[in-house]
Amino acid sequence: MRVLSLGRWLRAGRVPPRGRVRLNSGHRHSGHRPQAPPQGPAQVPLQVPLQQKVSVEVLDHLEHLALVDFRDSEGVERLQKAIQFADQLHEVNTDGVEPMDSVLEDRCLYLREDDVTEGNCTKELLENARETVEEYFVAPPGNIPLLKLEEQNTYLQGSK
Amino acid sequence: LAPWIPVVGLEIHAQISSNSKLFSGSQVQFAAPPNSLVSFFDASLPGTLPVLNRRCVEAAVMTGLALNCHINKKSLFDRKHYFYADLPAGYQITQQRVPIAVNGSLSYSLCIDNKMSQMVTKTVRIKQIQLEQDSGKSLHDDTRSQTLVDLNRAGVGLMELVMEPDMCCGEEAAAAVRELQLILQTLGSSQAVMAEGQLRVDANVSVHHPGEPYGVRTEVKNINSIRFLAKAIDYEIQRQIQELGNGGTILNETRAFDSKLGCTIPMRDKEGKQDYRFMPEPNLPPLILYDAKSLPANMNHQQVINIDWIHERLPDLPSVKREKLVEQYGILPEHSFTLL
Repeated sequence: MRVLSLGRWLRAGRVPPRGRVRLNSGHRHSGHRPQAPPQGPAQVPLQVPLQQKVSVEVLDHLEHLALVDFRDSEGVERLQKAIQFADQLHEVNTDGVEPMDSVLEDRCLYLREDDVTEGNCTKELLENARETVEEYFVAPPGNIPLLKLEEQNTYLQGSK
Repeated sequence: LAPWIPVVGLEIHAQISSNSKLFSGSQVQFAAPPNSLVSFFDASLPGTLPVLNRRCVEAAVMTGLALNCHINKKSLFDRKHYFYADLPAGYQITQQRVPIAVNGSLSYSLCIDNKMSQMVTKTVRIKQIQLEQDSGKSLHDDTRSQTLVDLNRAGVGLMELVMEPDMCCGEEAAAAVRELQLILQTLGSSQAVMAEGQLRVDANVSVHHPGEPYGVRTEVKNINSIRFLAKAIDYEIQRQIQELGNGGTILNETRAFDSKLGCTIPMRDKEGKQDYRFMPEPNLPPLILYDAKSLPANMNHQQVINIDWIHERLPDLPSVKREKLVEQYGILPEHSFTLL
C-alpha cells in the first residue's frame, strides 16, 4: 500500500503558489479598481537560500514514515523547493508571541451527551472492504515493512 | 560486587466507563458481534468529525482529582500517527502536549512480611493523565496468514495514566495497580477489569548501579493480570541483571510477556524507533474546564464542566473508607486492607 498523495503532488509540478499578498484586496472604498490577477508566477518577496540539501537517509526515513514515493530527482527537487519556500517563515520575528496551533482556538469545544446514537451498520461498513471473513475486516498478518534502502531498486538507492 | 537498583515505571490505560465512545455516538460494550458497534467516524470514513463526549471528560477530571492531580483548565488534543490495521484513520487522537491532568500521586500499601502484620505506605507520582482513543482489535490468524479486524473497540475513551519511575519491583507495581483499580471502581470512571481489557498495564524496566545514571529501559507489554504484572517485572529485572553481569547490553526495545513460559521475549513487529509525527488535532478546539470562580455566566450549563462541582461530589476513596473502618470499629489497619 503506497499512499502517493504528497509524492504525486510534488511530482505534478505544483509548487505552492508564490505570490505577493495583495494588501488592498479588502478595501472597496479606497477608490482603487480591483486589479486583474497576475498572469504568471509573481516575484517571491524573500529569497531564502536552501540551508542544506535533504540527505538520502532523511528521504528514506520520510518514505517509510508517510509511504510516499519520491520516485526520481524531480520529486526530490520539488521537496527541496517546498522546504525553501517554507523557510521564509523563519524571517518573521516571533519572540514573545505564543504559537497558534488552531484557527479554532476561540471556538467552544462542543460537548456531546453520553447517549448511544450510532452504530449497528455492520453490513454497510463491510461493503467497503475487498475481503471479509464472518463480519471481520481482513488485513495482512502484520505491517509489511518497506524494504530497507539497501534492498530497494529505487532512485534513492541509486543516489546513495 | 556493586548492587543493582531496579527502576520500574508504569503506563496504564484505563477504559472509561461510558455509554458511548469518546468522539462518536456508538455504543461501548464488551463482546458484541464484530463491527456492530462502529460508526462511520470510528471506521474513519472521509467527511466524519470527532465530537467530544462530556461523560469522558468528567471521568478524567474525577480520576485526576482523586489522584491529587492539577487539572489543566485548558488542554489540547493531538494526532499521533502510525500505521496498523486496527487503526483505520492512521492516527490516534490523544493529548500529548497539554493533557487534562498532571502532577498527581497514588498512595498504596505493602506488607513488609508475608503475614500482613506490618504495612508500609508508599507513594508513586503520577506524571499525567490524558484522554485518548482506543484502537480496534486484531485477531491474528497465523494459519491463514491474515489478521481479522474488529473495530468495536476503536474510538472507545481511554485515560492514559503515566507514572514516574518511582517503584523498584513487581510487588510494588502490583500493589499500586491494585489500589488504582479500587480507586477507579469507587469513582465509577472505569470498571478496570484487566481480564476484559478495561485496564492495560505496560511496564518500563531498567537497572543501574547506585550513583550511576539510569540504565537502558525496556518496555514490557501483553500483561493480562496483576499477578503476571509482578512476575513479568521481576523476570525482566533478573534478565537485565544477568545480561549486564555477563558483559552484555540491554537494548531499548519492547518485549512481550509470555505467561506460559513466565518470561519476556522481544516483539517482532516494532520496526525501529517510531516517529509519531505529533500534530495538533485540527478539528478540535482546546478543551476548557471551569471552576466556581471562573464559571461563565451566560453559558448553557450542559456545555460547562465545573471542576469544583465534581470535586464536591467525589465519593470516599478506599483509603478514606479504611480509615473510617479503623476509627469506627477499632479494627487493625491490616484488617481494613483485607476488607477493602
